[in-house]
Amino acid sequence: MKKSEWSDKQLEELLREMPRIQDHRNPRDIYQNISLKKRKRPAWIIPGLAAAAALFLFFLLVPKLFDGTQYSLDSAKQEESSSEEKISISEDNSSDLRKQDDSEQNEIGISDAEPKMSMTPSNKTAVYEEDTAAGTVFTYWIPDSQIQILVPVSILVTPDNNKDWLTNFTESMELLNEEEWGLTDYYPINAKLELDNNTVIVDVPNDHKYGQGSASETMFIDSLKKNIAANSQVNKIVFTTNGQPGIELGNYGVIEEIEVNPEGKHAYFLYTPDGLDTAYLVPSTETYLDINAAFEAMKSDQQQGLAASLVPGFPLKEFTIEDNKLIITMDENTTMENNQAAVYSYEAILLTAKEFGIETITVLNAPINFLGPFDLTKEMKVPLAPNHRPIQ
Amino acid sequence: MDSVFEELYQKYHHDVFQFLFYMVRNKEQAEDLVQEVYIRVFKSHHRFEGKSSEKTWLFSIARNVAIDSFRKQKGWKGRLLEKFDWSSSQVKDEHPIPEEITIQKEEIKWIYQCLDHCTVDQRSVVILRFLNDLSITETAQALGWTESKVKTTQHRALKVLKKYMELFNEKEGIESEEVRVER
Repeated sequence: MKKSEWSDKQLEELLREMPRIQDHRNPRDIYQNISLKKRKRPAWIIPGLAAAAALFLFFLLVPKLFDGTQYSLDSAKQEESSSEEKISISEDNSSDLRKQDDSEQNEIGISDAEPKMSMTPSNKTAVYEEDTAAGTVFTYWIPDSQIQILVPVSILVTPDNNKDWLTNFTESMELLNEEEWGLTDYYPINAKLELDNNTVIVDVPNDHKYGQGSASETMFIDSLKKNIAANSQVNKIVFTTNGQPGIELGNYGVIEEIEVNPEGKHAYFLYTPDGLDTAYLVPSTETYLDINAAFEAMKSDQQQGLAASLVPGFPLKEFTIEDNKLIITMDENTTMENNQAAVYSYEAILLTAKEFGIETITVLNAPINFLGPFDLTKEMKVPLAPNHRPIQ
Repeated sequence: MDSVFEELYQKYHHDVFQFLFYMVRNKEQAEDLVQEVYIRVFKSHHRFEGKSSEKTWLFSIARNVAIDSFRKQKGWKGRLLEKFDWSSSQVKDEHPIPEEITIQKEEIKWIYQCLDHCTVDQRSVVILRFLNDLSITETAQALGWTESKVKTTQHRALKVLKKYMELFNEKEGIESEEVRVER
Protein backbone atom coordinates (compact mmCIF):
# COMPACT_ATOMS: atom_id res chain seq x y z
CA MET A 1 0.00 0.00 0.00
CA LYS A 2 2.59 2.52 1.16
CA LYS A 3 4.75 3.91 -1.61
CA SER A 4 7.86 4.27 0.49
CA GLU A 5 10.41 5.09 -2.17
CA TRP A 6 10.26 7.66 -4.96
CA SER A 7 12.62 6.87 -7.75
CA ASP A 8 14.38 9.68 -9.66
CA LYS A 9 12.48 8.61 -12.73
CA GLN A 10 9.15 8.92 -10.99
CA LEU A 11 10.01 12.32 -9.66
CA GLU A 12 11.13 13.49 -13.08
CA GLU A 13 7.88 12.25 -14.59
CA LEU A 14 5.93 14.00 -11.89
CA LEU A 15 7.80 17.23 -12.51
CA ARG A 16 7.16 16.98 -16.22
CA GLU A 17 3.48 16.55 -15.48
CA MET A 18 3.29 19.83 -13.65
CA PRO A 19 0.83 22.15 -15.29
CA ARG A 20 1.90 24.85 -17.68
CA ILE A 21 1.15 28.22 -16.21
CA GLN A 22 0.05 30.70 -18.88
CA ASP A 23 0.47 34.40 -19.02
CA HIS A 24 -2.98 35.39 -20.15
CA ARG A 25 -2.14 38.98 -20.87
CA ASN A 26 -2.24 40.39 -24.35
CA PRO A 27 1.27 40.79 -25.77
CA ARG A 28 0.30 44.32 -26.76
CA ASP A 29 -0.36 45.19 -23.12
CA ILE A 30 2.92 43.68 -22.08
CA TYR A 31 4.74 45.69 -24.70
CA GLN A 32 3.02 48.85 -23.53
CA ASN A 33 3.98 48.15 -19.93
CA ILE A 34 7.56 47.65 -20.99
CA SER A 35 7.76 50.92 -22.91
CA LEU A 36 6.22 52.70 -19.93
CA LYS A 37 8.70 51.18 -17.57
CA LYS A 38 11.64 51.92 -19.81
CA ARG A 39 10.91 55.63 -19.61
CA LYS A 40 10.17 55.59 -15.91
CA ARG A 41 12.66 57.50 -13.83
CA PRO A 42 13.64 56.19 -10.43
CA ALA A 43 10.83 56.87 -8.01
CA TRP A 44 12.87 59.16 -5.78
CA ILE A 45 13.70 61.76 -8.41
CA ILE A 46 10.51 63.83 -8.32
CA PRO A 47 10.06 63.84 -4.53
CA GLY A 48 13.76 64.54 -4.29
CA LEU A 49 13.50 67.57 -6.51
CA ALA A 50 10.47 68.78 -4.59
CA ALA A 51 12.31 68.41 -1.31
CA ALA A 52 15.31 70.30 -2.66
CA ALA A 53 13.08 73.11 -3.86
CA ALA A 54 11.30 73.25 -0.52
CA LEU A 55 14.61 73.41 1.35
CA PHE A 56 15.80 76.14 -0.95
CA LEU A 57 12.69 78.21 -0.32
CA PHE A 58 12.94 77.53 3.39
CA PHE A 59 16.46 78.88 3.62
CA LEU A 60 15.49 81.82 1.47
CA LEU A 61 12.48 82.83 3.53
CA VAL A 62 13.35 81.94 7.09
CA PRO A 63 16.11 84.54 7.61
CA LYS A 64 13.77 87.28 6.39
CA LEU A 65 11.03 86.12 8.73
CA PHE A 66 13.32 86.03 11.69
CA ASP A 67 15.26 89.24 11.43
CA GLY A 68 12.59 91.54 10.12
CA THR A 69 13.58 94.11 12.73
CA GLN A 70 17.30 93.74 12.28
CA TYR A 71 16.82 94.20 8.61
CA SER A 72 15.35 97.67 8.95
CA LEU A 73 18.04 98.61 11.44
CA ASP A 74 20.69 97.61 8.97
CA SER A 75 19.17 99.69 6.24
CA ALA A 76 19.03 102.66 8.56
CA LYS A 77 22.69 102.22 9.33
CA GLN A 78 23.49 102.04 5.67
CA GLU A 79 21.69 105.28 5.13
CA GLU A 80 23.74 106.85 7.85
CA SER A 81 27.02 105.84 6.39
CA SER A 82 25.99 106.84 2.93
CA SER A 83 24.92 110.25 4.11
CA GLU A 84 28.23 110.67 5.85
CA GLU A 85 30.00 109.79 2.65
CA LYS A 86 27.95 112.25 0.75
CA ILE A 87 28.83 114.97 3.19
CA SER A 88 32.52 114.35 2.89
CA ILE A 89 32.20 114.54 -0.87
CA SER A 90 30.25 117.75 -1.02
CA GLU A 91 32.55 119.48 1.40
CA ASP A 92 31.95 123.07 0.30
CA ASN A 93 28.24 122.62 0.41
CA SER A 94 28.21 121.63 4.03
CA SER A 95 30.76 124.26 5.01
CA ASP A 96 28.44 126.80 3.46
CA LEU A 97 25.68 125.51 5.60
CA ARG A 98 27.84 125.60 8.66
CA LYS A 99 28.70 129.21 7.99
CA GLN A 100 25.06 129.96 7.66
CA ASP A 101 24.33 128.22 10.91
CA ASP A 102 27.10 130.11 12.62
CA SER A 103 25.78 133.43 11.50
CA GLU A 104 22.30 132.49 12.53
CA GLN A 105 23.49 131.47 15.93
CA ASN A 106 25.38 134.67 16.33
CA GLU A 107 22.42 136.75 15.38
CA ILE A 108 20.18 135.06 17.85
CA GLY A 109 22.92 135.07 20.41
CA ILE A 110 22.84 131.51 21.50
CA SER A 111 25.14 130.69 24.36
CA ASP A 112 28.06 128.36 23.87
CA ALA A 113 26.55 125.83 26.24
CA GLU A 114 26.01 123.49 23.35
CA PRO A 115 29.44 122.63 22.07
CA LYS A 116 29.57 123.05 18.36
CA MET A 117 31.88 120.08 18.03
CA SER A 118 29.09 117.65 18.71
CA MET A 119 27.36 118.84 15.59
CA THR A 120 28.11 116.70 12.60
CA PRO A 121 27.04 118.57 9.53
CA SER A 122 23.93 117.18 7.93
CA ASN A 123 22.07 118.74 5.08
CA LYS A 124 18.58 119.99 5.14
CA THR A 125 16.78 119.19 1.94
CA ALA A 126 13.70 121.39 1.88
CA VAL A 127 13.38 125.09 1.08
CA TYR A 128 12.71 127.28 4.14
CA GLU A 129 11.60 130.83 4.48
CA GLU A 130 15.10 132.13 5.03
CA ASP A 131 16.21 130.61 1.73
CA THR A 132 13.88 132.74 -0.35
CA ALA A 133 16.35 135.57 -0.28
CA ALA A 134 18.11 133.73 -3.08
CA GLY A 135 15.08 133.82 -5.34
CA THR A 136 11.62 132.48 -5.95
CA VAL A 137 10.82 128.83 -5.30
CA PHE A 138 9.54 126.73 -8.14
CA THR A 139 8.56 123.14 -7.46
CA TYR A 140 8.57 120.73 -10.38
CA TRP A 141 7.07 117.26 -10.21
CA ILE A 142 9.44 114.98 -12.04
CA PRO A 143 8.84 111.25 -12.74
CA ASP A 144 11.34 108.89 -11.15
CA SER A 145 13.52 106.72 -13.36
CA GLN A 146 10.85 103.96 -13.37
CA ILE A 147 8.09 106.46 -14.22
CA GLN A 148 6.08 105.28 -11.23
CA ILE A 149 6.03 108.21 -8.87
CA LEU A 150 6.35 111.96 -9.19
CA VAL A 151 9.16 113.49 -7.17
CA PRO A 152 8.78 117.14 -6.24
CA VAL A 153 12.02 119.04 -6.80
CA SER A 154 12.34 122.69 -5.84
CA ILE A 155 14.72 125.18 -7.32
CA LEU A 156 15.39 128.78 -6.47
CA VAL A 157 15.35 131.14 -9.43
CA THR A 158 15.47 134.86 -9.88
CA PRO A 159 12.27 135.61 -11.73
CA ASP A 160 11.79 138.19 -14.43
CA ASN A 161 9.24 140.43 -12.79
CA ASN A 162 7.87 141.62 -16.12
CA LYS A 163 6.53 138.17 -16.87
CA ASP A 164 3.84 136.21 -15.09
CA TRP A 165 4.76 133.28 -12.85
CA LEU A 166 3.77 130.70 -15.46
CA THR A 167 6.17 132.10 -18.04
CA ASN A 168 8.92 132.15 -15.46
CA PHE A 169 7.99 128.64 -14.42
CA THR A 170 8.07 127.38 -18.00
CA GLU A 171 11.31 129.09 -18.84
CA SER A 172 12.98 127.70 -15.73
CA MET A 173 12.21 124.15 -16.86
CA GLU A 174 15.37 124.28 -18.92
CA LEU A 175 17.41 124.63 -15.76
CA LEU A 176 16.39 121.20 -14.45
CA ASN A 177 18.99 118.43 -14.53
CA GLU A 178 16.62 115.52 -14.06
CA GLU A 179 19.02 112.79 -15.09
CA GLU A 180 21.78 114.08 -12.89
CA TRP A 181 19.30 113.94 -10.02
CA GLY A 182 18.48 110.29 -10.74
CA LEU A 183 15.10 111.05 -12.31
CA THR A 184 13.61 110.87 -15.80
CA ASP A 185 14.34 113.65 -18.26
CA TYR A 186 10.86 115.13 -18.57
CA TYR A 187 11.18 118.92 -18.82
CA PRO A 188 10.78 121.17 -20.72
CA ILE A 189 7.42 119.68 -21.62
CA ASN A 190 6.35 119.54 -25.24
CA ALA A 191 3.52 122.04 -24.80
CA LYS A 192 2.87 125.75 -24.60
CA LEU A 193 1.53 126.99 -21.28
CA GLU A 194 -0.46 130.21 -21.11
CA LEU A 195 -2.06 131.93 -18.18
CA ASP A 196 -5.60 133.25 -18.49
CA ASN A 197 -6.82 134.68 -15.19
CA ASN A 198 -7.33 131.62 -13.02
CA THR A 199 -6.82 129.14 -15.82
CA VAL A 200 -3.78 127.61 -17.40
CA ILE A 201 -4.16 126.85 -21.10
CA VAL A 202 -2.04 123.90 -22.18
CA ASP A 203 -1.51 123.72 -25.92
CA VAL A 204 0.14 120.54 -27.23
CA PRO A 205 1.31 120.03 -30.84
CA ASN A 206 -0.47 117.54 -33.08
CA ASP A 207 2.34 114.99 -32.77
CA HIS A 208 2.59 115.08 -28.99
CA LYS A 209 3.56 111.81 -27.34
CA TYR A 210 1.73 112.23 -24.06
CA GLY A 211 -1.14 110.01 -25.21
CA GLN A 212 1.05 106.97 -25.73
CA GLY A 213 0.40 104.54 -22.93
CA SER A 214 -1.48 104.96 -19.71
CA ALA A 215 1.66 105.65 -17.64
CA SER A 216 2.72 108.62 -19.71
CA GLU A 217 -0.83 109.99 -19.77
CA THR A 218 -1.21 109.75 -16.03
CA MET A 219 2.21 111.28 -15.51
CA PHE A 220 1.37 114.16 -17.84
CA ILE A 221 -1.96 114.99 -16.21
CA ASP A 222 -0.69 114.46 -12.66
CA SER A 223 2.48 116.44 -13.14
CA LEU A 224 0.53 119.35 -14.64
CA LYS A 225 -1.96 119.31 -11.80
CA LYS A 226 0.69 119.09 -9.13
CA ASN A 227 2.94 121.68 -10.76
CA ILE A 228 0.12 124.13 -10.90
CA ALA A 229 -1.22 123.30 -7.45
CA ALA A 230 2.22 123.62 -5.89
CA ASN A 231 3.18 126.88 -7.50
CA SER A 232 -0.05 128.86 -7.87
CA GLN A 233 -3.66 129.30 -6.90
CA VAL A 234 -4.89 128.42 -10.40
CA ASN A 235 -7.77 125.96 -10.28
CA LYS A 236 -8.42 125.00 -13.88
CA ILE A 237 -6.45 123.60 -16.78
CA VAL A 238 -7.79 123.92 -20.34
CA PHE A 239 -6.30 121.71 -23.03
CA THR A 240 -5.91 122.52 -26.70
CA THR A 241 -4.21 120.60 -29.48
CA ASN A 242 -2.55 122.91 -31.97
CA GLY A 243 -5.07 125.59 -31.11
CA GLN A 244 -8.11 123.29 -31.33
CA PRO A 245 -9.91 122.58 -28.05
CA GLY A 246 -9.28 119.26 -26.33
CA ILE A 247 -6.42 116.79 -26.06
CA GLU A 248 -6.65 113.18 -27.19
CA LEU A 249 -5.39 110.75 -24.57
CA GLY A 250 -5.86 107.01 -25.10
CA ASN A 251 -7.34 106.12 -21.75
CA TYR A 252 -9.07 109.37 -20.93
CA GLY A 253 -10.45 110.07 -24.39
CA VAL A 254 -10.65 113.73 -25.36
CA ILE A 255 -10.19 116.05 -22.42
CA GLU A 256 -10.95 119.73 -22.70
CA GLU A 257 -10.39 120.88 -19.15
CA ILE A 258 -9.63 119.57 -15.68
CA GLU A 259 -10.02 121.03 -12.23
CA VAL A 260 -6.98 121.60 -10.07
CA ASN A 261 -7.65 121.03 -6.41
CA PRO A 262 -5.20 122.06 -3.74
CA GLU A 263 -3.10 119.10 -2.74
CA GLY A 264 -2.87 118.05 0.87
CA LYS A 265 -3.08 115.38 3.54
CA HIS A 266 -0.24 113.33 2.09
CA ALA A 267 2.53 111.76 4.12
CA TYR A 268 6.15 112.14 3.07
CA PHE A 269 8.35 109.12 2.48
CA LEU A 270 11.96 108.59 1.53
CA TYR A 271 12.76 107.79 -2.06
CA THR A 272 16.33 107.02 -3.09
CA PRO A 273 16.99 106.74 -6.83
CA ASP A 274 19.10 103.78 -7.94
CA GLY A 275 22.77 104.53 -7.94
CA LEU A 276 22.45 107.71 -5.92
CA ASP A 277 22.99 108.17 -2.22
CA THR A 278 20.90 111.27 -1.78
CA ALA A 279 17.28 110.73 -0.98
CA TYR A 280 14.14 112.64 -1.79
CA LEU A 281 11.18 113.23 0.46
CA VAL A 282 8.21 112.29 -1.67
CA PRO A 283 4.54 112.63 -0.72
CA SER A 284 2.41 109.50 -0.84
CA THR A 285 -0.19 109.07 -3.56
CA GLU A 286 -2.85 108.29 -1.00
CA THR A 287 -4.11 110.83 1.47
CA TYR A 288 -4.52 110.27 5.19
CA LEU A 289 -7.40 111.15 7.44
CA ASP A 290 -5.33 112.95 10.03
CA ILE A 291 -1.75 113.64 10.91
CA ASN A 292 -1.71 110.75 13.33
CA ALA A 293 -2.47 108.24 10.58
CA ALA A 294 0.13 109.88 8.36
CA PHE A 295 2.87 109.63 11.01
CA GLU A 296 1.91 106.04 11.69
CA ALA A 297 2.21 105.20 7.98
CA MET A 298 5.58 106.91 7.77
CA LYS A 299 7.06 104.32 10.11
CA SER A 300 6.85 101.58 7.49
CA ASP A 301 7.89 101.16 3.88
CA GLN A 302 5.35 101.73 1.13
CA GLN A 303 4.96 100.51 -2.42
CA GLN A 304 6.69 101.99 -5.45
CA GLY A 305 10.05 102.28 -3.71
CA LEU A 306 8.93 104.64 -0.99
CA ALA A 307 10.77 103.86 2.23
CA ALA A 308 9.80 104.62 5.81
CA SER A 309 10.76 108.17 6.69
CA LEU A 310 10.21 108.04 10.44
CA VAL A 311 13.20 106.02 11.58
CA PRO A 312 13.59 104.67 15.10
CA GLY A 313 16.58 107.02 15.36
CA PHE A 314 14.08 109.84 15.66
CA PRO A 315 12.30 108.95 18.91
CA LEU A 316 8.93 110.58 18.48
CA LYS A 317 6.86 109.92 21.62
CA GLU A 318 3.70 111.93 21.24
CA PHE A 319 2.38 115.12 19.73
CA THR A 320 -0.41 117.60 20.19
CA ILE A 321 -1.92 120.12 17.84
CA GLU A 322 -2.97 123.58 18.91
CA ASP A 323 -4.49 125.66 16.14
CA ASN A 324 -1.76 125.71 13.54
CA LYS A 325 0.95 124.56 15.90
CA LEU A 326 2.29 121.06 16.22
CA ILE A 327 4.01 120.24 19.47
CA ILE A 328 6.16 117.13 19.33
CA THR A 329 7.32 115.44 22.49
CA MET A 330 10.38 113.31 22.12
CA ASP A 331 11.38 110.36 24.19
CA GLU A 332 14.13 111.94 26.27
CA ASN A 333 15.43 108.65 27.62
CA THR A 334 16.57 107.40 24.27
CA THR A 335 19.67 108.44 22.47
CA MET A 336 19.20 110.39 19.33
CA GLU A 337 21.98 110.63 16.87
CA ASN A 338 22.64 113.72 14.94
CA ASN A 339 22.75 112.15 11.51
CA GLN A 340 21.23 112.49 8.09
CA ALA A 341 18.57 109.83 8.73
CA ALA A 342 17.25 111.82 11.68
CA VAL A 343 17.34 115.01 9.61
CA TYR A 344 15.27 113.28 6.94
CA SER A 345 12.80 112.15 9.60
CA TYR A 346 12.49 115.65 11.01
CA GLU A 347 11.98 117.16 7.58
CA ALA A 348 9.46 114.46 6.70
CA ILE A 349 7.52 115.46 9.83
CA LEU A 350 7.73 119.13 8.89
CA LEU A 351 6.55 118.52 5.34
CA THR A 352 3.78 116.16 6.39
CA ALA A 353 2.64 118.60 9.06
CA LYS A 354 2.43 121.26 6.38
CA GLU A 355 0.14 118.98 4.37
CA PHE A 356 -2.26 119.06 7.30
CA GLY A 357 -2.23 122.84 7.60
CA ILE A 358 0.35 123.12 10.38
CA GLU A 359 2.42 126.28 10.29
CA THR A 360 4.89 125.95 13.13
CA ILE A 361 6.39 123.07 15.02
CA THR A 362 7.86 122.95 18.51
CA VAL A 363 9.96 120.09 19.76
CA LEU A 364 9.94 119.23 23.46
CA ASN A 365 12.33 116.99 25.38
CA ALA A 366 14.71 116.63 22.47
CA PRO A 367 17.69 114.51 23.54
CA ILE A 368 19.94 116.79 21.50
CA ASN A 369 19.57 120.49 20.94
CA PHE A 370 20.84 120.60 17.39
CA LEU A 371 19.85 118.27 14.65
CA GLY A 372 21.90 119.01 11.58
CA PRO A 373 21.13 122.59 10.66
CA PHE A 374 18.06 122.70 12.88
CA ASP A 375 17.85 124.19 16.35
CA LEU A 376 15.39 121.92 18.08
CA THR A 377 14.99 124.25 21.04
CA LYS A 378 13.19 126.83 18.91
CA GLU A 379 9.86 126.94 17.25
CA MET A 380 10.24 125.96 13.64
CA LYS A 381 8.25 127.10 10.62
CA VAL A 382 7.21 124.46 8.13
CA PRO A 383 9.23 124.46 4.89
CA LEU A 384 8.04 126.20 1.77
CA ALA A 385 8.81 123.34 -0.58
CA PRO A 386 10.47 119.92 -0.50
CA ASN A 387 13.73 118.67 -2.03
CA HIS A 388 15.74 121.75 -2.80
CA ARG A 389 18.24 121.13 -5.56
CA PRO A 390 20.76 123.78 -6.53
CA ILE A 391 20.91 124.80 -10.17
CA GLN A 392 23.74 126.32 -12.08
CA MET B 1 5.03 46.90 -31.69
CA ASP B 2 8.71 46.19 -31.93
CA SER B 3 9.57 43.35 -34.27
CA VAL B 4 12.23 42.05 -31.88
CA PHE B 5 9.68 41.94 -29.10
CA GLU B 6 7.17 40.19 -31.31
CA GLU B 7 9.66 37.54 -32.28
CA LEU B 8 10.81 36.92 -28.74
CA TYR B 9 7.24 36.81 -27.52
CA GLN B 10 6.21 34.28 -30.13
CA LYS B 11 9.11 31.97 -29.50
CA TYR B 12 9.83 32.11 -25.80
CA HIS B 13 7.31 34.12 -23.82
CA HIS B 14 5.46 31.16 -22.34
CA ASP B 15 8.63 29.25 -21.51
CA VAL B 16 10.14 32.22 -19.76
CA PHE B 17 6.92 32.92 -17.93
CA GLN B 18 6.68 29.30 -16.85
CA PHE B 19 10.22 29.40 -15.51
CA LEU B 20 9.68 32.65 -13.63
CA PHE B 21 6.41 31.47 -12.16
CA TYR B 22 7.91 28.32 -10.68
CA MET B 23 10.90 30.29 -9.43
CA VAL B 24 8.87 32.89 -7.52
CA ARG B 25 5.60 30.90 -7.21
CA ASN B 26 3.46 34.01 -7.58
CA LYS B 27 1.64 34.85 -10.75
CA GLU B 28 1.56 38.63 -10.38
CA GLN B 29 5.19 38.75 -9.51
CA ALA B 30 6.03 36.54 -12.46
CA GLU B 31 4.11 38.93 -14.72
CA ASP B 32 6.17 41.86 -13.46
CA LEU B 33 9.40 39.93 -13.78
CA VAL B 34 8.77 38.82 -17.32
CA GLN B 35 8.47 42.48 -18.25
CA GLU B 36 11.72 43.16 -16.51
CA VAL B 37 13.29 40.41 -18.59
CA TYR B 38 12.18 42.14 -21.78
CA ILE B 39 13.54 45.47 -20.58
CA ARG B 40 16.93 43.92 -19.88
CA VAL B 41 16.82 42.16 -23.23
CA PHE B 42 16.22 45.42 -25.06
CA LYS B 43 18.98 47.11 -23.14
CA SER B 44 21.55 44.49 -24.06
CA HIS B 45 20.21 43.03 -27.26
CA HIS B 46 23.03 44.62 -29.23
CA ARG B 47 25.49 42.81 -26.98
CA PHE B 48 24.01 39.44 -27.79
CA GLU B 49 26.57 37.88 -30.08
CA GLY B 50 25.04 34.56 -30.77
CA LYS B 51 27.68 32.76 -28.72
CA SER B 52 24.94 30.88 -26.99
CA SER B 53 21.51 30.19 -28.31
CA GLU B 54 18.87 32.88 -27.96
CA LYS B 55 16.85 30.57 -25.77
CA THR B 56 19.52 29.94 -23.15
CA TRP B 57 20.46 33.63 -23.20
CA LEU B 58 16.87 34.54 -22.37
CA PHE B 59 16.73 31.99 -19.57
CA SER B 60 19.96 33.26 -18.07
CA ILE B 61 18.50 36.76 -18.02
CA ALA B 62 15.27 35.44 -16.50
CA ARG B 63 17.23 33.66 -13.79
CA ASN B 64 19.15 36.83 -12.93
CA VAL B 65 15.92 38.78 -12.80
CA ALA B 66 14.45 36.21 -10.41
CA ILE B 67 17.51 36.25 -8.18
CA ASP B 68 17.49 40.06 -8.13
CA SER B 69 13.86 40.03 -7.09
CA PHE B 70 14.68 37.67 -4.20
CA ARG B 71 17.43 40.02 -3.12
CA LYS B 72 15.12 43.01 -3.35
CA GLN B 73 12.52 41.25 -1.24
CA LYS B 74 15.10 40.68 1.41
CA GLY B 75 16.26 44.26 1.37
CA TRP B 76 16.44 46.42 4.48
CA LYS B 77 12.72 47.01 4.26
CA GLY B 78 11.93 43.33 4.27
CA ARG B 79 14.25 42.65 7.16
CA LEU B 80 12.84 45.56 9.15
CA LEU B 81 9.27 44.47 8.57
CA GLU B 82 10.12 40.90 9.45
CA LYS B 83 11.32 42.09 12.85
CA PHE B 84 8.05 43.77 13.66
CA ASP B 85 5.62 41.54 11.86
CA TRP B 86 5.59 38.54 14.20
CA SER B 87 2.43 37.13 12.78
CA SER B 88 4.12 36.44 9.45
CA SER B 89 6.99 34.57 11.10
CA GLN B 90 4.55 32.31 12.89
CA VAL B 91 2.18 31.56 10.08
CA LYS B 92 4.13 31.31 6.90
CA ASP B 93 1.99 31.11 3.83
CA GLU B 94 3.58 33.42 1.36
CA HIS B 95 2.87 31.21 -1.60
CA PRO B 96 -0.76 30.34 -1.93
CA ILE B 97 -1.10 27.42 -4.30
CA PRO B 98 -2.51 28.70 -7.58
CA GLU B 99 -5.64 27.28 -9.07
CA GLU B 100 -3.78 25.55 -11.88
CA ILE B 101 -2.03 23.39 -9.26
CA THR B 102 -4.93 22.74 -6.92
CA ILE B 103 -6.98 21.04 -9.58
CA GLN B 104 -4.13 18.58 -10.20
CA LYS B 105 -3.65 15.28 -8.44
CA GLU B 106 -2.26 15.06 -4.94
CA GLU B 107 1.31 14.24 -5.91
CA ILE B 108 1.59 17.35 -8.07
CA LYS B 109 0.49 19.49 -5.15
CA TRP B 110 3.09 17.84 -2.95
CA ILE B 111 5.92 18.28 -5.33
CA TYR B 112 4.93 21.91 -5.86
CA GLN B 113 5.26 22.47 -2.14
CA CYS B 114 8.46 20.45 -1.96
CA LEU B 115 10.09 22.76 -4.49
CA ASP B 116 10.06 25.35 -1.74
CA HIS B 117 12.69 23.40 0.14
CA CYS B 118 15.18 23.47 -2.69
CA THR B 119 17.80 26.19 -2.95
CA VAL B 120 17.47 28.72 -5.73
CA ASP B 121 20.15 26.95 -7.78
CA GLN B 122 18.50 23.57 -7.32
CA ARG B 123 15.14 24.97 -8.20
CA SER B 124 16.51 26.64 -11.35
CA VAL B 125 17.99 23.37 -12.52
CA VAL B 126 14.85 21.37 -11.82
CA ILE B 127 12.62 23.86 -13.58
CA LEU B 128 14.89 24.27 -16.58
CA ARG B 129 15.51 20.57 -16.98
CA PHE B 130 12.06 19.09 -16.41
CA LEU B 131 9.53 21.87 -16.83
CA ASN B 132 11.21 23.72 -19.68
CA ASP B 133 12.63 20.52 -21.16
CA LEU B 134 16.14 21.88 -21.61
CA SER B 135 19.01 19.46 -22.13
CA ILE B 136 21.92 19.27 -19.70
CA THR B 137 24.03 21.28 -22.14
CA GLU B 138 21.41 23.97 -22.58
CA THR B 139 20.89 24.21 -18.85
CA ALA B 140 24.61 24.56 -18.33
CA GLN B 141 24.68 27.37 -20.87
CA ALA B 142 21.72 29.17 -19.35
CA LEU B 143 23.19 29.00 -15.88
CA GLY B 144 26.74 29.59 -16.98
CA TRP B 145 27.86 26.40 -15.26
CA THR B 146 29.71 23.32 -16.33
CA GLU B 147 27.62 20.31 -17.28
CA SER B 148 28.88 18.33 -14.32
CA LYS B 149 27.76 21.06 -11.94
CA VAL B 150 24.34 20.92 -13.53
CA LYS B 151 24.27 17.14 -13.02
CA THR B 152 25.27 17.21 -9.36
CA THR B 153 22.87 20.06 -8.60
CA GLN B 154 20.09 18.16 -10.30
CA HIS B 155 20.95 15.06 -8.30
CA ARG B 156 20.90 16.96 -5.03
CA ALA B 157 17.63 18.66 -5.96
CA LEU B 158 15.95 15.34 -6.61
CA LYS B 159 17.27 14.07 -3.31
CA VAL B 160 15.70 16.99 -1.46
CA LEU B 161 12.43 16.49 -3.30
CA LYS B 162 12.48 12.79 -2.53
CA LYS B 163 13.02 13.42 1.16
CA TYR B 164 10.09 15.80 1.45
CA MET B 165 7.86 13.76 -0.81
CA GLU B 166 8.35 10.88 1.58
CA LEU B 167 7.27 13.07 4.47
CA PHE B 168 4.05 13.81 2.61
CA ASN B 169 3.72 10.14 1.86
CA GLU B 170 3.99 9.20 5.52
CA LYS B 171 1.44 11.79 6.55
CA GLU B 172 -0.89 10.47 3.89
CA GLY B 173 -0.24 6.93 5.05
CA ILE B 174 -1.10 7.77 8.64
CA GLU B 175 -4.26 9.52 7.56
CA SER B 176 -5.42 6.65 5.41
CA GLU B 177 -4.61 4.17 8.16
CA GLU B 178 -6.67 6.22 10.60
CA VAL B 179 -9.51 6.15 8.14
CA ARG B 180 -9.25 2.40 7.95
CA VAL B 181 -9.20 1.99 11.73
CA GLU B 182 -12.37 4.00 12.03
CA ARG B 183 -14.05 1.67 9.65
